[in-house]
Amino acid sequence: MKTRLGTTNIKILVAVFIAIAIGVVAIVKLDTTGKKGSGLGEEFTYDLEKLGIIDPNLILYKEPAPAIDTGFSESQSIAVAPDGSIYIAGDKAIRFFAESGNLLGEIKLADMPMCLTVAGDGKIYVGMKDHVEIYDGQGKRLATWQNLGNDAVLTSIDVSKNDVFVADAGNRIVYHFNTTGNLINRIGGKDKDKKISGFFIPSPHFDLAIGNDGLLRVANPGNHRIEAYTSEGDLEFSWGTFSNVNIEGFCGCCNPVNFAILADKSFVTCEKGLVRVKIYDQDGVFTGVVAGSKQLTGKAGRICSTPAECQSRAFDVAVDAHERIFVLDTNKNVVRIFTKIKEE
Amino acid sequence: MIRFAYIIIGIAVLLLSSGIASGFERFPPPDFESGYVLPSPATPNPRQDIYEYVDTIVLLTALSLSSYLVLKKRRRRFIFVLSVLSLFYFGFWREGCVCPIGAIQNVALSVFDKDYAVPVAVMMFFLLPLVFTLFFGRTFCAAVCPLGGIQDVVLMRPVSVPQWLESGLRLFAYVYLAAAVLFAATGSAFIICRYDPFISFFRLSGNFNMLVLGVCFLFVGLFIGRPYCRFACPYGVILRQLSRISKWRVTITPDDCIKCRLCEDSCPFGAIKIPTEDWPAHDYNKSKRRLAFLIILLPILVLSFGWIGSILRPVTSRVHATVRLADRIYLEETGRAEDTTDASDAFRATGKDIKKLYAEALAIQARFGLGGWLSGGFVGLVIALKLIGMSLRRQRTDYEADRAGCMACGRCFEYCPKEHSKRKQAKETMGGSR
Repeated sequence: MKTRLGTTNIKILVAVFIAIAIGVVAIVKLDTTGKKGSGLGEEFTYDLEKLGIIDPNLILYKEPAPAIDTGFSESQSIAVAPDGSIYIAGDKAIRFFAESGNLLGEIKLADMPMCLTVAGDGKIYVGMKDHVEIYDGQGKRLATWQNLGNDAVLTSIDVSKNDVFVADAGNRIVYHFNTTGNLINRIGGKDKDKKISGFFIPSPHFDLAIGNDGLLRVANPGNHRIEAYTSEGDLEFSWGTFSNVNIEGFCGCCNPVNFAILADKSFVTCEKGLVRVKIYDQDGVFTGVVAGSKQLTGKAGRICSTPAECQSRAFDVAVDAHERIFVLDTNKNVVRIFTKIKEE
Repeated sequence: MIRFAYIIIGIAVLLLSSGIASGFERFPPPDFESGYVLPSPATPNPRQDIYEYVDTIVLLTALSLSSYLVLKKRRRRFIFVLSVLSLFYFGFWREGCVCPIGAIQNVALSVFDKDYAVPVAVMMFFLLPLVFTLFFGRTFCAAVCPLGGIQDVVLMRPVSVPQWLESGLRLFAYVYLAAAVLFAATGSAFIICRYDPFISFFRLSGNFNMLVLGVCFLFVGLFIGRPYCRFACPYGVILRQLSRISKWRVTITPDDCIKCRLCEDSCPFGAIKIPTEDWPAHDYNKSKRRLAFLIILLPILVLSFGWIGSILRPVTSRVHATVRLADRIYLEETGRAEDTTDASDAFRATGKDIKKLYAEALAIQARFGLGGWLSGGFVGLVIALKLIGMSLRRQRTDYEADRAGCMACGRCFEYCPKEHSKRKQAKETMGGSR
């Protein structure tokens, strides 16, 4: 352990100076602004232009009519009422349109609505950031439910005869209320005994819908799955796989962002980043495409450039009793209606 | 006691002015189920839940143990073993993050940016070594700092550095500290982390240039003890000042110094002060005049360096991404750049107003102007105080460890005959009691 200080000879001095010079060059040449790129290999390249190309034979839908302009500068969510009218949530308001695109009415809100659904009795359930509000068809507020806390970010709502389910992306949970607003239970929290791994929601898109079989379907975007729960919160089954390459899978970090259920129990899913609207049968088997990036955005690649933009823009989907698919383009704030062109 | 009260008040003010928060991951990373290969991140993943506190407890334990070994046990071998263990835990296992050196930047940013909160663990990593230094000297440098540890293990053939060169080179650490605080406070960059020369070793990955820099530091460290700690470490600058006033500190001898000179060449860091001779009268008068001149020069140096720091703002502010982007957009808009960059493409895609970007960049540049005055003034003050220090003469009758520069490594203990006789005595006492 004992070492005395030695004398500095010329060899040591030269070696030290050379090392210092190399060190200085290393610092000066360091790419601190990322001009030279990430340095990652091709295996990490994410070429969306290529991935966005869809085989035309897979496209099962056409867009026969021009889009409906919502007039919003920021639109959030779409729902189709049992009578066929189209409800859009946007700029602190709910607007409803006839199939023809005529504006039927508007309900002014105090804040930005995040999601909405229309019940069989015509009541409009609106998910605000942290609570639910209910309106009648004339725009009269019927109820305001309990505040769900600062962390709550309500992103989807659906209603059946006795139950209301609300997806909270902030708390990564689904709330089960009765129609009078009493909280019955929470669904989807991590539970080893129930073999529930929890919802993975990297971006604030978290959708749900009540299936025709009575089971609640919830998107688990981080896991690229749609999960089926009973109203008691038991996980029954799930389907969906990740793939950036195969159209059958869901792409990117977290998809599907939104979905709707057709009368024949098949699913219409909507993906962000690489914008695609696709059809899966009731067992989750891919059956075709409604529209790809090119049809929806005019580009084969993604519609956004910055991460923040990619996270915020997600199209929404809804369906009507005639198997028509309504896509809310949150970029242009229009509703595009797709109808089937051939049998799957 | 008044001195300690001031320091405690200072720390309290620092804590109050900086936001502290518990660090946690807002969303888990995507759970990919295919064979997709996620690129390894350049920085370690954040510590979750209890592990953050485990790290803090390990740090506290290591600091306590180091202080005990340095001040009570006085055995270099044990200090070295603890240093190697710390190197493995804080360096290779924790991949050099969180580290108290880098935490300077988190604290600086939180003081100047109210929206930024320092995680509790980071604040503890910043404060604990300071508190221990205040009481026990630089025991953090001795056996806890992984950067010190990695340099200590390669020190094979130490040579001495002349005092004038040592003092001059050390100025770099002050400039580095001023720059690190400036860039962190303006939200531009954490340069201490960016230019950490040993991080590539700890993470076994990283930028090639930084690996080269690390190799250079280690090579120089074969001959010059702990070059990073002595001439570059910005945290060392703070520790030096606290160590000057520490309540307890390392002494070369456990007893009275017998001036045997055996320890004279034992310190590879040049931190042993030899006894002084009487000051010749003509030297004394000359130094007095020089001191008066330097005291007058002090404000001039502070203002001059502050001014230099301020006028450098067009250069320094380019470290900030927004200023760089505004510069780039300006070049593109005025036709001086024909192509575009990823950053300028991304900016244009957001649809944001270019004038707003320019205004934002100008505001940032103005902040750099003020920051330049402060950081430049700090450097000027340090230079002035260094010059004043050279004109002061302190009377020393014994061989002493330099209060500021001693890194408490314990190498000098083994050279002291008094240490050996004390150990022998202790052994005999223990033997007798059996």
